[in-house]
Amino acid sequence: MGDKLKVAVIGGGSGGYPAAIRAARLGAEVTLIEKDSLGGVCLNRGCIPTKALLQSGEILKTIKDSGIFGIKCGDGKVDFRAVISRKNSVIQKLRQGVERLLSAKKISIIKGTAMLIDPSTVQILETENKIKVDKIIIATGSRPTKLNINGFDGPDVLDSDKFLEMEDLPKSAVIIGGGAIGVEFGQIFNRMGVEVTILELMENLVPETDKEIAQAFEKRIIEEGIKVFTKAEVKGITHGKALKTITFAVGEESKKCNAERVIVTTGRRPDLSYLNVDTIGLAQENSTLIVNDHMETNVPGVYAVGDVVGGIMFAHVATAEGECAAKNAIGQESTISYKAIPSCIYTSPEVASVGLTEEQAKVKFDIHVGRFPFYASGRALVLNQTYGMVKIIAERKYGEVLGVHMIGPHATDMIAEAVLGISMEMTVEDLAHAVHPHPTLSEAVMEAALSLSGGAINMP
Amino acid sequence: MPIEIVMPKLGLTMTEGLIIEWKKKEGDEVKKDEVLFVLETEKVTFEVESPEDGVLGKILIQEKETVPVGTVVAYLLKPDESISDLEEIKPPPEKEEVKAELLFAQEPSLPSQEKVSRETRIKASPLAKKIAKAYNLDLHTVEGTGPGGRIIKEDVEKAYEKMQKEAASLHPKVEEAPAQKLVTFTGMRRTIAKGMLASKVETAQTYMSNTVDATKIVEYRRILLPYIQEKFGIRMTITDIMMKITGAAICQHPIINTRWTDEGILYLEDVHMGMAMALDEGLIVPVIRHINKKGLAQIAKDRIELIQKGKENRFLPDNITGSTFTLSTMGMFDIEHFTANINLPESAILAVGAIIDKPVIIDREMVIRPMLNVTLTYDHRIIDGAEAGKFMRTLKSFIENPIFIIA
Repeated sequence: MGDKLKVAVIGGGSGGYPAAIRAARLGAEVTLIEKDSLGGVCLNRGCIPTKALLQSGEILKTIKDSGIFGIKCGDGKVDFRAVISRKNSVIQKLRQGVERLLSAKKISIIKGTAMLIDPSTVQILETENKIKVDKIIIATGSRPTKLNINGFDGPDVLDSDKFLEMEDLPKSAVIIGGGAIGVEFGQIFNRMGVEVTILELMENLVPETDKEIAQAFEKRIIEEGIKVFTKAEVKGITHGKALKTITFAVGEESKKCNAERVIVTTGRRPDLSYLNVDTIGLAQENSTLIVNDHMETNVPGVYAVGDVVGGIMFAHVATAEGECAAKNAIGQESTISYKAIPSCIYTSPEVASVGLTEEQAKVKFDIHVGRFPFYASGRALVLNQTYGMVKIIAERKYGEVLGVHMIGPHATDMIAEAVLGISMEMTVEDLAHAVHPHPTLSEAVMEAALSLSGGAINMP
Repeated sequence: MPIEIVMPKLGLTMTEGLIIEWKKKEGDEVKKDEVLFVLETEKVTFEVESPEDGVLGKILIQEKETVPVGTVVAYLLKPDESISDLEEIKPPPEKEEVKAELLFAQEPSLPSQEKVSRETRIKASPLAKKIAKAYNLDLHTVEGTGPGGRIIKEDVEKAYEKMQKEAASLHPKVEEAPAQKLVTFTGMRRTIAKGMLASKVETAQTYMSNTVDATKIVEYRRILLPYIQEKFGIRMTITDIMMKITGAAICQHPIINTRWTDEGILYLEDVHMGMAMALDEGLIVPVIRHINKKGLAQIAKDRIELIQKGKENRFLPDNITGSTFTLSTMGMFDIEHFTANINLPESAILAVGAIIDKPVIIDREMVIRPMLNVTLTYDHRIIDGAEAGKFMRTLKSFIENPIFIIA
């Protein structure tokens, strides 16, 4: 027993628990320290609960649209407490799943807050127990940032954590921040009958996305009945008796809007509280930990993964980093690659991207762009979800696939093909000439690629 | 069926040939007897002509490639055939065997190793493959850094950059030393070098020189020249006479017409006279066979033909092998006296200088006579000085009185 490499993983979220499992699979004796719930933000306060709520909204939408399919079942009614309880049961199941996976690998789980004593000692704040280890993987995640705006601290101003803990629906809500989280929250509310306004500082909603896709998305969101103000700079929140008033500026013009609740989704920052990173001299930059491409910090044997290292704060990135760190900790060299990281928005229509946007690609490459709209897809028509398209950006000379962007049904699942394609350095010919099953939405990928390699079949 | 164009066997000793130049491109129309390609063996370059009218369908062996005799180097399409007829043809496997067998003597395992490595699977991304093809870069030379050693775009671009840099770094060197020029060895130069060095290292070269009165040969040539010219249309030279006389002298001294072998000294019956000849590419020694049985006109005719072939690069290997004694002349450069290097496996060589008018003492009187220096280089392992002396004495008497050779 004594000759096993000892690894402590601090944090049991999307970065930490896969790191723990990988290290255990590679033969290490692993201790995982989690101060809250296994599964981290993603499972408890992020991806999973949001998707659960979105799904309830989607069901309601399906019921409302059921007449189109020849099914009569009225308009449907929201029982928000049941919606919340269903969300919680999904979380509960997944959390138990993580726990079972960890114990199956004989990983000891300590519930507590970890503090670093030295590069091979971790102390548990609550019990003062000290754990001696050979390697440490820090995966403590992130917290929502606080906006420095007048009135931010008032009641009924919720961050994403509090949003997901809500037990009733307001009549109206203003969402500050039109990124992925903001628009997902907006759609949840909107589908359930809440009057929603989204304020976004940049030119478009989901501003990180390819512009054409972002604009198509924004158009759809507005059509659904969400009020959107872009280039909107929030100045302050005043708290009235029933309503909050949000003051914001669009250019020179000052505007106001009212709502029962205000949701702030403007970003997250690494959570390094209690860790005492300075005691062992971990290098930081803008309060994120600095790591190399082996996910190792400046202190040998101490690794950091997930939101604490900043960069792209996605669960799937944290997982990839966690695996990479675990392998290196065990002595198997592994290098992280951020070349093909998909990003997804789980609204309806879904938005998914990998690689460069058209705007980014144009700067560096001679490109051409292939598109295929879902209105030309048989499967999309069957689903009655014909809004959207697949867009492929390829370098002109060799046909390197630089970026793939999708808006439409199941885009977040379909992007995986493009992720594989880009990470394997496939060319548009490769995508175009792989036979895709019919009738599926995935044919749109093939057709978009074909439009850059000999011409599409199902588009004029 | 398209016609196979093969690497011809130009002589008994030829095992392989290097294609120097294709005179026709794929798709070119070709007439019968038009030159298809030029090949080089160790000894000669040779133009290979088309056996039929047709179109050069496919070139299998490119320029600068050496292949064994009998290898199919191209396909000629007959007038009624098209390129699609080629698709049915697979390279005949027995040729591969021939190749392996012939190469075995020189490079036993290289060809097969090469083949194996060519066939091993390369792990490379589709994009990397495409770019490598565009750069004309062999992926075998590229190190992969992708997952599992896969070659990715970045690896190809780095390899290409490196290749470019290396190519660029070669140029400045040349520019720094413009007075230098490196001419890579031709097969012919290698052969000359090998032969010459072996001659110096492996034989006991010894020299014997004499100056003889050339009055009679000059006179006889003057008499015979118009006669032979009229009768045979050929211009006879002093060299022809010297070769005839030397051949006759050799017949009197069989020790000169010999070869050193491991078992002993091999006496050769026939005298095949090699005549050293300078081509642009280097020294070559075409052969006049059975010179002892040939008249002057025939010798002159042979010589002229050989020179013509040499100028036109049309020598067949048999034109330039098998000499038993060699004669080298430097009269055209006004060289009075020189020594020559034995042309292995011969035992001796005669260096013939320019005929120069000189004062000589005849009957205690000083007279001016056309004089000729002849220098024998002989392999002292075989030929003792006395034997060489006897030969030189006979040679001198024959030169000074050519009528003796008809005795």
